[in-house]
Amino acid sequence: MASQLTLTAVNKIYKPRGKMPVHAVISFDLVVEPGEIVALLGSSGCGKTSTLRMIAGFEDVTSGTITLNGKPIHTLSPAARGVAMAFEAYSLYPPLTIGENIAFALKAQKLSAGETEKRVKEMSAMLEIGDILGKYPTSVSGGQQQRASLGRALVRKAALTLLDEPMGQLEPQLRAVLRGRIKHYLREYALTSILVTHDQTEANALADRIAVMEGGELQQYATPQELKERPANLFTGTFIGEPPMNVLPVKVEIDAKNLSFRLQGGKDLVLTYPVGELDASLRKVLAARPEVVLGVRPHGVKLAKTGLPAEVVSCQWLGDQTHVAAEIASQTVVSVSHERLTLKTAAPIALAIAARDLHIFDPASGKAIAHGGKLA
Amino acid sequence: MAQLELQCLSKSFGALKVFEGLNLETKSGEIVVIFGGSGTGKTILLRLIAGVDDPTGGDIRIGGQSMIDVAPESRNVGMAFQNFALFPHMSAAENIAAPLNARGATAEVVKIGVDRVARLLKIDHVLDHAPRELSNGQKQRTALARALIAEPNILLLDDPLRNVDAKLRFEMRLELPRLLRQSGSTVLYVTQDYKEAMALADRIAVLAGGSFVQIATPEDIYNKPATADVARLFGDPVINLAEGAPQVRGKTVTFDIAGETIPLDGAYAAYAGRPVRLGIRPEAVEIGPVKDSHMAADVQAVTPYNERTVLLLRSRGGFEFLASLPSSSANIPNFGQSTGVKFNAEGLHVFDRDSGVRLVGQG
Repeated sequence: MASQLTLTAVNKIYKPRGKMPVHAVISFDLVVEPGEIVALLGSSGCGKTSTLRMIAGFEDVTSGTITLNGKPIHTLSPAARGVAMAFEAYSLYPPLTIGENIAFALKAQKLSAGETEKRVKEMSAMLEIGDILGKYPTSVSGGQQQRASLGRALVRKAALTLLDEPMGQLEPQLRAVLRGRIKHYLREYALTSILVTHDQTEANALADRIAVMEGGELQQYATPQELKERPANLFTGTFIGEPPMNVLPVKVEIDAKNLSFRLQGGKDLVLTYPVGELDASLRKVLAARPEVVLGVRPHGVKLAKTGLPAEVVSCQWLGDQTHVAAEIASQTVVSVSHERLTLKTAAPIALAIAARDLHIFDPASGKAIAHGGKLA
Repeated sequence: MAQLELQCLSKSFGALKVFEGLNLETKSGEIVVIFGGSGTGKTILLRLIAGVDDPTGGDIRIGGQSMIDVAPESRNVGMAFQNFALFPHMSAAENIAAPLNARGATAEVVKIGVDRVARLLKIDHVLDHAPRELSNGQKQRTALARALIAEPNILLLDDPLRNVDAKLRFEMRLELPRLLRQSGSTVLYVTQDYKEAMALADRIAVLAGGSFVQIATPEDIYNKPATADVARLFGDPVINLAEGAPQVRGKTVTFDIAGETIPLDGAYAAYAGRPVRLGIRPEAVEIGPVKDSHMAADVQAVTPYNERTVLLLRSRGGFEFLASLPSSSANIPNFGQSTGVKFNAEGLHVFDRDSGVRLVGQG
């Protein structure tokens, strides 16, 4: 039942009249395994929505192939592809009630009235819209319309489920529980799914793998954990993670005992590691590179007794975590802790960063050189 | 003395009551966040204080003086709006300088002031740009600079980070407290984002249903929420709620959740038999092979959330709830597995079922 989707060398070029052509999706390859949940993640204009619309059949591919279970679908009409989609703008049928909108998706399956009613009821309970099934789309809130639109797509249990910015309008108090329920539902029925989002927290919460896109190109396709621990480049490294990764341009200094990274702006600002903490192969690579960019996730920046001298800019407790911003020379570095901390503004502190928490990037290309003391 | 006082302030439009009986006293230099959902009247409240709209009843006092018959420009109140409201035909520098120019400041004073505040807000490189040439983040900072430069006694900020991207919002959230302290103004800051509220505020005033439900420090709002609604507004994932009634069994107080019994602090004995909702913070749920497990639960879904992992759990009796753990924790179970669950006492809150008011343990 669960389906495999493949995109091979897919290109999309828009040719607006009287303007330069726009290469929106560039030679894009992607394999989505049966039952897998994949997120296309990127900011606006990265090509994620064009890709989704080509899979759904609302846009033609300029070149390349899209197959579902080995069968090419990119030449089929949208209705013939077996694809269910929840739209960012909801696109509910205005003359139908919320309940009828969801039931409409089941029409083609020719279920009995009783079975249809049962499925609509289950879906509406899952999405907390049971009490508005009799209402019309225009008379309910944006969040409720979005849930109805999700319900209409999910209830079909289609060969492929496409969700376009599915949770942007959801009420904050419902978001965590609905993410959990939707992920549970997709897993339970092994529904192969693709969600498009600009929100990295949503992609991380729901997806098995995330395809990070920028400028029409795939930057990295990996599990949320891999993206966090082994970002392929500075773009992916800083796009994934909240608060974002700290980025520090440094000069490399190597002697027999130590490997040091000197921050700009002062002679005391050096991160020093015994050479044994970094692989010999990495030391060799760094010996030929006078300058690199360090990336450190806020959880990797620890308050310590000794370390980089810094001054507290702000210390903000959010209930389940504390965000500390500290100034090192002219740079602001962010440290996050699961504990509650109370530090005064302008207080002197020391920051330590373990070798295993270091990401090293090439300053020119942005490509990752090393993660945690090992070559990338 | 820049102290702002709201006394029994109310505002209605015809039969429509926006809010009623608002009381608030701020200390000089304090940052008070007005927190509430959309449509709760936060912006209207700022407009009343600025003097661009009149209250239906009550008083607004600044430095001990009633402002009811004082013109907006004489109140020494500055305001920055959510939609920036920059003058389109003026450069960023001219926009920022507007309040000083209106006061007839000399060109030299204006230049020094503009340069200083622009450097502080990192917009010194775009001072000659027109508003349409600025990014949203730069527009927002220009509007903020214009409000700060006049060094008003009272500074009103209407959701200033609403229309900027997530990254800049985060950076500004870290930097704003320092900027605002330097200005020395008493700040009323409106937001719908609870994290922003907790991060920036000395005190938070929660506006809901036409009144301040709670005015307290971020710590007290989170750890001693006045009502179940306040508890639901602060925290992500949202607090879990289970209906039931505390029971006294011998020397212990217990609470039944979908057929399973968990212990409650003995101080809740006073509420035995009373219909309540038990609030359980997701980060107070302990998971795995815990000692003295309160119940077993199946993992419905695992949803990573930044450096935490959120689990959707379902007890054997059908109670659905969320747990939030540091992702570095050992023993995080997978989808489909079962786990022992324990609720830590410090993350438990008891609310009256009907009024929603938090019930404080006694004794």
